[in-house]
Amino acid sequence: MDLTIGRFLRLLIAFIVLGIVGWLLYSLSTIITIILLSALIAYILDPIASYLEAKGMSRTSATVIIFLLFFLIIGVTSWTLLPGLIGELYTLEQNLSLEDTSSLSARIESFVSTNLGFINVKNLNIEEKVKNGITMLTDQLLTMLAGLISIISFIVIVPFVVFFLLKDGRNMKKAFIHFVPNRYFEMTLNVIHKIDQQLGWYLRGQFTEAFVVGLLSVIALWLLGVQYFIIIGIFAGLANMIPYVGPVAGAIPAIAVTVIKGDDPITIFYIVIAFAIVQLIDNIVIQPFILSKSVHLHPLIIVFAVLIGGQFFGLLGMLLAVPAAGIIKVTSSELYEGLRKFNLA
Amino acid sequence: MAEKSLPDDTLWGNVFHKETRTENNIYKVLAGIPIFEDLSRKELRAVERILHKRTYKENEVLFHEGDPGVGMYIIETGRVNITLGKEEKLLAVLSDKEFFGEIALLSETPRTATATAVTESKILGFFQPDMMGLMETNPRMGNKVLLKLARMIGDRLRFSNLENQQLKTKITKLEEKSSRKRVS
Repeated sequence: MDLTIGRFLRLLIAFIVLGIVGWLLYSLSTIITIILLSALIAYILDPIASYLEAKGMSRTSATVIIFLLFFLIIGVTSWTLLPGLIGELYTLEQNLSLEDTSSLSARIESFVSTNLGFINVKNLNIEEKVKNGITMLTDQLLTMLAGLISIISFIVIVPFVVFFLLKDGRNMKKAFIHFVPNRYFEMTLNVIHKIDQQLGWYLRGQFTEAFVVGLLSVIALWLLGVQYFIIIGIFAGLANMIPYVGPVAGAIPAIAVTVIKGDDPITIFYIVIAFAIVQLIDNIVIQPFILSKSVHLHPLIIVFAVLIGGQFFGLLGMLLAVPAAGIIKVTSSELYEGLRKFNLA
Repeated sequence: MAEKSLPDDTLWGNVFHKETRTENNIYKVLAGIPIFEDLSRKELRAVERILHKRTYKENEVLFHEGDPGVGMYIIETGRVNITLGKEEKLLAVLSDKEFFGEIALLSETPRTATATAVTESKILGFFQPDMMGLMETNPRMGNKVLLKLARMIGDRLRFSNLENQQLKTKITKLEEKSSRKRVS
């Protein structure tokens, strides 16, 4: 009897703790996103800081130089890419205006009836669906505008946090270890080192791969004359982090744009070929070099992580979901392994 | 102009004096450790920054036999017993400025003995991840430490070989003696 009550109480406490953790995660989602994003950027930049340190620079000077270079690259990229990107967004907005919806749906319907005759066009009800979609998009854009202040604070806070994480990260780690009781001290040190090694490979690999695939996609789409090639290319690079679904998800917007614009159907074939080549380069050239020691995450876990990330932290959460899942997997497995090796589990 | 020194009885005087004394003590300890012998004072300061300073209570275990070894321990002050097996056979009693566990800096092998603080001990920990970090951020210094470590292990290997050789000779002599006895 006592055992049952005890077990029930423990279960109840576990649920309450889980609830509190969930509530805290939800309430502090903005701060958590800032910390996670900053930590990720600092983590990716860390080897550069260490390299400059090895060349005789102090950590502070190395951090300042990285920041200056970082802002220079951001500045040059914005100067060259931003006008095109804004132009693309503007035309996208123009094309998605409600007046154009009818002609847009008519174009899609005619494409479907000529190329995919087996589908009953009348059942698709594209016009209403597109209208609903646009209304939703407009609402979301308004919400995004309202959140502009938080975006600006993001732009200011994230670099600030990254700077100090990059400069003092090592001391912070040491200070954290200092508070660990003697019994767990050596194990903690070992586990942190292992996590650091594995995550270093994984995160840098993920971002390098996303960058290269994004860049190749932008170039390929630009060569094919696809509209919104920058946005679609960036999306393809980021989507590539999700195995199996990612590469397909990257190609879909490019095909959709071509269909909507009523371009020659052969362009779709070229787009598919271009994305297949990008994937081939990714699989043969990029992956063996950068993901030789990657973290193996099951595709289902990744899909769920992306959904949870989107639910709790919005679009940024979706983008950070894959590395976050990697961090959780490596941390838990190394922690368990460490506890087991030190006979503490 | 004569430099004014802070009197010992003021708060600041005490704080600064204590700090300098502690730092000097650590430098003295580090300078006496073979793997840090070739380092300059500036380099020792860099090592001091990455060391983990821990305090162990009387009878507190630093590590158990069989635990994965991650690095070496240096005794700043205090006494540490190195024991073997469940019967806790005493192998060594180490005290101020002595060190142990340095092999673990090179490979994560299980600890071959248990280390226990006999008195309250101030211990400095130098671990594999810190050494790797040192090699990454300051390769010159990392190389000096690594070279010293390699020499130390080489010397120990030579000593062990010599001891092995002597033991083998003794065994051969004993075998010869016993066979001669059997014959006679």
